[in-house]
Amino acid sequence: MIKLTKITKSFGRNRVLNGIDLTVEKGEVVAILGPSGSGKTTLLRCINYLEKPNDGEISIDDFIVNCRNPAKKDIHALRRKTAMVFQNYNLFRHKTALENVMEGLVIVKKISRDEARKLSIELLEKVGLGNKLSSYPSQLSGGQQQRVGIARALALNPEVILFDEPTSALDPELVGEVLAVIRKIAKEGITMIIVTHEMGFAQDVANHVVFMDEGVIVEEGHPKHIFNSPKEERTKQFLARITPESAYSI
Amino acid sequence: MTLDFSFIWTAFVKLLPAIPNTLYITVVSVSCGFIIGTIVALSRIYKIPVLNQLGTSYVTFIRGTPMLTHLLLIYFGLPLIIDGLAEKYGWSFNSVSIPMIGFAYISFSITAGAYLAEVIRSGMLAVDKGQLEAAHSIGMTTFQALRRIVFPQAFAAALPNLSNSLIGMLHGSTLAFTVSVVDINAKAQIVAATNWKFFEAYLAAALIFWGLTIVIERITAWLEKRINVYNRGGVA
Amino acid sequence: MGTQFDIAFVFEYFLKLLPFIRISLVIVGSSILVGMGVGFLVALPRLYKIPVLQRISQVYASFFRGTPILIQLFLIYYGLPEILKLANIDVSKVPVLFFVILAYGLHSGAYMSEGIRAAVTAVDRGQVEAAYAVGMTGFQAFTRIVFPQALAISIPILANLVIATLKDTSLAFTLGVMELTGKSQTLVTMSRHFIESYVALALVYFIISFILEKLFNLAERRLLKHEAPISSKDRVPMGRKWLNSRIDGEIALSKGGSGI
Repeated sequence: MIKLTKITKSFGRNRVLNGIDLTVEKGEVVAILGPSGSGKTTLLRCINYLEKPNDGEISIDDFIVNCRNPAKKDIHALRRKTAMVFQNYNLFRHKTALENVMEGLVIVKKISRDEARKLSIELLEKVGLGNKLSSYPSQLSGGQQQRVGIARALALNPEVILFDEPTSALDPELVGEVLAVIRKIAKEGITMIIVTHEMGFAQDVANHVVFMDEGVIVEEGHPKHIFNSPKEERTKQFLARITPESAYSI
Repeated sequence: MTLDFSFIWTAFVKLLPAIPNTLYITVVSVSCGFIIGTIVALSRIYKIPVLNQLGTSYVTFIRGTPMLTHLLLIYFGLPLIIDGLAEKYGWSFNSVSIPMIGFAYISFSITAGAYLAEVIRSGMLAVDKGQLEAAHSIGMTTFQALRRIVFPQAFAAALPNLSNSLIGMLHGSTLAFTVSVVDINAKAQIVAATNWKFFEAYLAAALIFWGLTIVIERITAWLEKRINVYNRGGVA
Repeated sequence: MGTQFDIAFVFEYFLKLLPFIRISLVIVGSSILVGMGVGFLVALPRLYKIPVLQRISQVYASFFRGTPILIQLFLIYYGLPEILKLANIDVSKVPVLFFVILAYGLHSGAYMSEGIRAAVTAVDRGQVEAAYAVGMTGFQAFTRIVFPQALAISIPILANLVIATLKDTSLAFTLGVMELTGKSQTLVTMSRHFIESYVALALVYFIISFILEKLFNLAERRLLKHEAPISSKDRVPMGRKWLNSRIDGEIALSKGGSGI
């Protein structure tokens, strides 16, 4: 179980997160929605400390990090319990697809190279890239790179995988293959937190939807409730704006 | 022999009159080099037959050899050529009429030309091809497009390298002592030897060069800021 | 002067210069090694923004890039013994070569530090984030992810610096070191065939630079094998953004015309 308590974050005088409380149960797939600038990506990046929260508490099971004065060791431990899939993939440029997946296993988890290789090949096959093992990122399409990124995250066998807008840098025709992979691993019961703009995807994969605006959680709950009968005015407005019928109203 | 701090100031004052010679050499060689460089760069970009190959060999050779060898070759080679020609055609002009500083001008211009050719070429190539096409699309001639659209952008792109080359030539001008031109460095040698205070004299010379370099860097930074107004913003 | 140009002398001098390539290369090699050490020491405070040290690094780089190498040679040669004498250290028996290498080392160290800084900052920030996200420590992220990529980026800068240092060694003769240029000057005192000697000298330098450049190109291609192949022709104008930043670094940090 992941629990965020009173997370706040400011960039200079600009307060981006204003006391976020969020509980994610084991095996849950959480979709975080909201207009741009609402703080959803920042929240996600706070969970593995790529952004330093100013205050609050992050806990994964019994492991607790106090954000006021975290020890370096704790930050490192937190990162080992989480994995991230980035918006622009961030594959290690000087390593092949296989080496990208193996890197964390060998260097961080200290698994033997042979074992790491075996596991990595399995994972790359799972995301449909069994034939691209020795390709460098520069030789792969965006969709393929992102699938390697997902395999790299899966390899670490983390408590939770954080997805930061995993499809928003992709050409439209490549979005499908990546969503298909995410959908597949969602069914395996891995805890995931996904920041996304793909409403249809969120509605049908997530079992917990969080709507954020201006640094606070406006509303959260089961996708059925959020999408079909939102209680808050801001949620209604947001959903109305992104539904297809009104897409051209601007 | 101990350090004599007051002599640093004395030497500094004595070196001041030598600054113009250093600046002359730098400015002349960079200006002539700029003309040579532009011609070479254009003939390489537009692949003008013969000139392209000549330009490439010139740039490769000069950049592959020390500036000192250029100076020595010009100093000893040019008189051979000029005197040979003068004898053959009965000119009254011969190598003795070339002032010493003339050898420095000629040789350093040749050096600077090769480096600047590369700077100008990479500046021009840095300009997006679409810019030229866009200029053509609104009806400009190629000449107009180059002058009004490509060159200003190329200049902005090449500015840091131009400044580097200028500083390089400023520092390179210290070689002029080999042809007995009294620049800052040669003057420092004289001051040092007559007073037997080498360290202090060279320290004073170093300070002058450092100051001149910083002035060039400041001017470049200021120019860059003015020119690159259009480049501001974009992706953060 | 006054002698006729004689191509046979060029050939003869060329052969006589060959044994002295060694000493020039020794100076280049040693000073580049010294320069790398100095460069790292100077770059780190600026990369990690360490208060006072950062400022000192800046002044160091500014001074050694802002003054001619010829002056630096004299400064080190005449100045260092005097400074050390204040500390009661006698260096009058230390060979000249030591001062020469130190001077070139400190000089190239200033350029090296800028190169290291540029190369490290040219590595995409996302690479470090990804390294952290898979659980690496800061040290692991630097040694396994940032450093190998920075190394590949900095090869052209290094190549430029090595060749510039080679050309700069032609000034070591002013302190009486018998390297290529020094030797070429002693060759002519007997025969007075100046121009032949200097043509031979230029040829030797040219051939060494040429070989060095080829070697570095080879190294670069090997280290950059992870980037999609692009011909050197369209490299400068319109590579991808990452490569462009690489090229900018190369040009902005080269020694300009000062590879004298």
